Amino acid sequence: MASSVSSQHDQVLVEEKSFARILTFNRPKQLNALSFQMISRLLELFLAYEDDPNVKLVILKGKGRSFCAGGDVAAVVHDIRAGGWKAGANFFMKEFTLNYLMATYSKPQVSILNGIVMGGGNGASMHGRFRVATENSLFAMPETALGLFPDVGASYFLSRLPGFFGEYLGLTGGRLDGVEMLACGLATHFVPSAKLPMLEAALCAVDSSDPATISSIIGKYSERPSLKEQSVYNRLDVIDRCFSQKTVEEILSALEREAVDRRDGWISTTIQTLKKASPTSLKISLRSIRVGRLQGVGPCLVREYRMVSHVMRGEFSKDFFEGCRAILLDKDKKPKWEPSKLELITDTTVDSYFSKVKDEDWEDLKLPARSKFNLPPYVIAKL
Amino acid sequence: MDRAFQRTRILTNHLLLPPPAQTACLTSNDCLNYSPPELSEKYAFDVNEMRRLMDGHDVEERDRLFGLIIQSKLFNPRVRGGKVFVSPDYNQSMEQQREMTWKRIEYLLERGVFRGWMTGEGEEMEMKRFACFEVLGIFDHSISIKLGVHFFLWGGAIQFFGTKHHHDKWLRDTENYMIKGCFSMTELGHGSNVRGIETVTTYDSNTGEFIINTPCESAQKYWIGGAAKHATHTIVFSQLNINGTNEGVHALIAQIRDADGNVCPNIRIADCGHKIGLNGVDNGRIWFDNVRVPRENLLNSVADVSPDGKYLSSIKDPDQRFAAFLSPLTAGRVNIAVNAVYQSKVGLSITVRYALTRRAFALKANEPEVLLLDYPSHQRRLLPLLAKIYAMSFGANYLKMLYVKRTPQSNKTIHVVSSSFKATFTWSNMQILQECREACGGQGLKTENRVGHLKAEHDVQSTFEGDNNILMQQVSKALFAEYMAAQKRNKVFKGLGLEHMNKPCPVIPSQLTSTTLRSSQFQMDALCLRERELLNRFVADVSQCQARGESKEHAFNTNYQLAEDLGKAFSDQAIFQTFVDAEATLAAGSLKDVLGMVRSLYALTCLEDVTYLRYGYLSVDNAAAVRREITKLCSELRPHALALVSSFGIPDAFLSPIAFNWIDANSWTSVQH
Repeated sequence: MASSVSSQHDQVLVEEKSFARILTFNRPKQLNALSFQMISRLLELFLAYEDDPNVKLVILKGKGRSFCAGGDVAAVVHDIRAGGWKAGANFFMKEFTLNYLMATYSKPQVSILNGIVMGGGNGASMHGRFRVATENSLFAMPETALGLFPDVGASYFLSRLPGFFGEYLGLTGGRLDGVEMLACGLATHFVPSAKLPMLEAALCAVDSSDPATISSIIGKYSERPSLKEQSVYNRLDVIDRCFSQKTVEEILSALEREAVDRRDGWISTTIQTLKKASPTSLKISLRSIRVGRLQGVGPCLVREYRMVSHVMRGEFSKDFFEGCRAILLDKDKKPKWEPSKLELITDTTVDSYFSKVKDEDWEDLKLPARSKFNLPPYVIAKL
Repeated sequence: MDRAFQRTRILTNHLLLPPPAQTACLTSNDCLNYSPPELSEKYAFDVNEMRRLMDGHDVEERDRLFGLIIQSKLFNPRVRGGKVFVSPDYNQSMEQQREMTWKRIEYLLERGVFRGWMTGEGEEMEMKRFACFEVLGIFDHSISIKLGVHFFLWGGAIQFFGTKHHHDKWLRDTENYMIKGCFSMTELGHGSNVRGIETVTTYDSNTGEFIINTPCESAQKYWIGGAAKHATHTIVFSQLNINGTNEGVHALIAQIRDADGNVCPNIRIADCGHKIGLNGVDNGRIWFDNVRVPRENLLNSVADVSPDGKYLSSIKDPDQRFAAFLSPLTAGRVNIAVNAVYQSKVGLSITVRYALTRRAFALKANEPEVLLLDYPSHQRRLLPLLAKIYAMSFGANYLKMLYVKRTPQSNKTIHVVSSSFKATFTWSNMQILQECREACGGQGLKTENRVGHLKAEHDVQSTFEGDNNILMQQVSKALFAEYMAAQKRNKVFKGLGLEHMNKPCPVIPSQLTSTTLRSSQFQMDALCLRERELLNRFVADVSQCQARGESKEHAFNTNYQLAEDLGKAFSDQAIFQTFVDAEATLAAGSLKDVLGMVRSLYALTCLEDVTYLRYGYLSVDNAAAVRREITKLCSELRPHALALVSSFGIPDAFLSPIAFNWIDANSWTSVQH
């Protein structure tokens, strides 16, 4: 009954199974990094499925050991070198539009996060109704190490995690396993990977878009494993105390104060990670998460698009290009950030990342119209 | 009999017939759907820019504080309709509410929110502090009052009445909450008339101590915020009696509890009990029985007592001395005025959003029902109030700036403007919240929907820190004094916005066109005309009474109606001026255009006031033209309603379930969770 409508060379594989559509990221060698082509294809498919009464459910998964390791930023840097900063901005415009569509989708999306899910991979899954983690899941938003900031709507979904865990994840790029993802709410379910084929089969038999029905089906295969004792999620009180501070500088000094009070490898690692990240990235990321906490998902993406356009344009800092060089291209892992210190970055500079880009051809992100669809309550709550 | 038969048949069918199969009428197509206004309403201007203009300062600081509140379980987050809302649980007992208020303060203290509030200095810090108060006030009145008493009243008294050794000794401990302060001014027998309080303090030169006494029951300190439960120290206001001479009201510091919370010897404290609102504040009553405090505890910036018991003061006039003592209350009044505006913003945001999603009655059969805000009558109820709050926001920003840039010369202006704005804003807040409550129908009654509950919480604003009626009388008296001073010295008017009195009297055209009605010049003329005429009239009537041999005080009392009208005229004009000034800072564009309409709606609503007809400043025809223009402006502003309330910048979590998906918030599934 399964009918394949794509060739195996496609970057996104499409399977039609009854009322379900299974979309599989198919760039395993690149850990399924999102290319412009993949984003365009997903956008096209999602738009078509929304109008198609025979589609009730969309399943997303990845081929190989990764769900999706993020946007293909190496390609973005390449495009910018060839075609100017707007070529880069264009990539994000398309990607954020897809993120918005997923966030406001009238049909449930189930993402099977059986492996690495980072950056843009989170943008392609976290906005959907169901996120299934497994023992293979590995979550991170590592942008600050790359001179970027948690984008793809992360200022929406990170800021809504308990306490100040979102600030922690967004600033440090801290990694989570599947159990932790479930505990903090990034994942809605945890299903052992051995049960995934059964889960998929059960989902393909669904003839309804009702989230309660789908949730109970996934629930049948779900488990609630307990956190490892060393889990970062057990440190929520320290994280709350430190990451609720007003500025990045104050977060760092709060962590340093904690380090004085007790010897703790985790605290010193966290301090080190923050010190290695781009200072500009840290500052704009913190502001973005804080502002995003008070905004709907649409305004978050519009604002992030302004921010990412400024980053691509490199007017205030070229850290993104330096980060890509050091981490992805030269792989010396020794980026030279500029400005090099937190105290060199003024509030005015941070403010400018949130302003419109002063360029004649540049426009704010235009979100696709959603009013003609009968949006479910869980979507309406995000607007 | 027919009816009984019919009921029996229904019941029989109910019990005996099988349930009907799922029929088409149960499908969702026939049900009401919540349609989010975000998707249908367009923003014609940048709401972030408008918000910055309205909030005026410290937007990032505000957002950080909003975030601190939303992310903590202490602020009672609840999920309704898929969204998180924070609001205290007002169904808790008074004791529990007080305990929660205190825990929330501790949380904010740990996060460094109060850093610099007492030990820092400068305009920037003071503005930041105002911003934090506004945010906390949006969450809950009790927390803002509890903090206000500690920082503005207790802390402010030490800053303003105290001298260096008081500052060194108390300010840091106040900022860190090592001590918890309260402010004992009001007594059972004396509220607004502070000079009449009966608590007495004498001095014992043998021990170098002051002795405080509550001589009679009417002298018990009353409504003292913090006194019933938490406060460890208080500022005591009392008549200072030195060697048998009453030197008038003075303030000194007394400890009322030890660090463990036990009431100190010679102090008796009782609870004020449950109130109609503000139950998170532990208001108490205090009696002093020969309470001895060291001589250094006298807050001596204005007057001092030497160790051997001599009274010393640089200000010889007891009236001026007393006035100097009351000046710190101004900060409290500024806070109250501004806070009232933000409460109205909460009420209007909720009510306008509800009116954009709630439908009632179809015009024709089979047509969809009409959105509440598409009824001209509903627009007429809410949009002028929205315009008023825009105007008052600019007024509030002006008042804050006036306060933080204070100089000895500006004291009078601050006193008059803060009195007038405090009374006007708090009265209008009550009016707005009542209208919002009614416009939300039954939903307005639910505490979780906030609008109704806010009325009870903020009712107190019209009388505390100066009874509104008395404050407004002071405004009229100040204007009278200004007039007399100018006349006596044959000088032009300068200050209090009375400069327009130096110009020829504006003339209202006999025919008011739409263009005229919308011109800010005309609007200003009309407001100045009323103020000018009423001031002239008030001065004439009071002078006439005085000419008949009546005292000035008696003349004021008998002319209270004119005094009220004049006070209102002054406020309306002063608020309008701040609107015009704010508008002038903007570059041409859609934001300015919309704001211009809002300004016109505010001004014309002022012109609709009965005084314009009562005193004949507008002809009956002109009054009708004003009224017509208001309805036109309402319909023109209708498309901007969502953008205008979104610009208030109140995060969703601080509004309420009816402001969003109220169908889902009330669904059966939500009951089961």
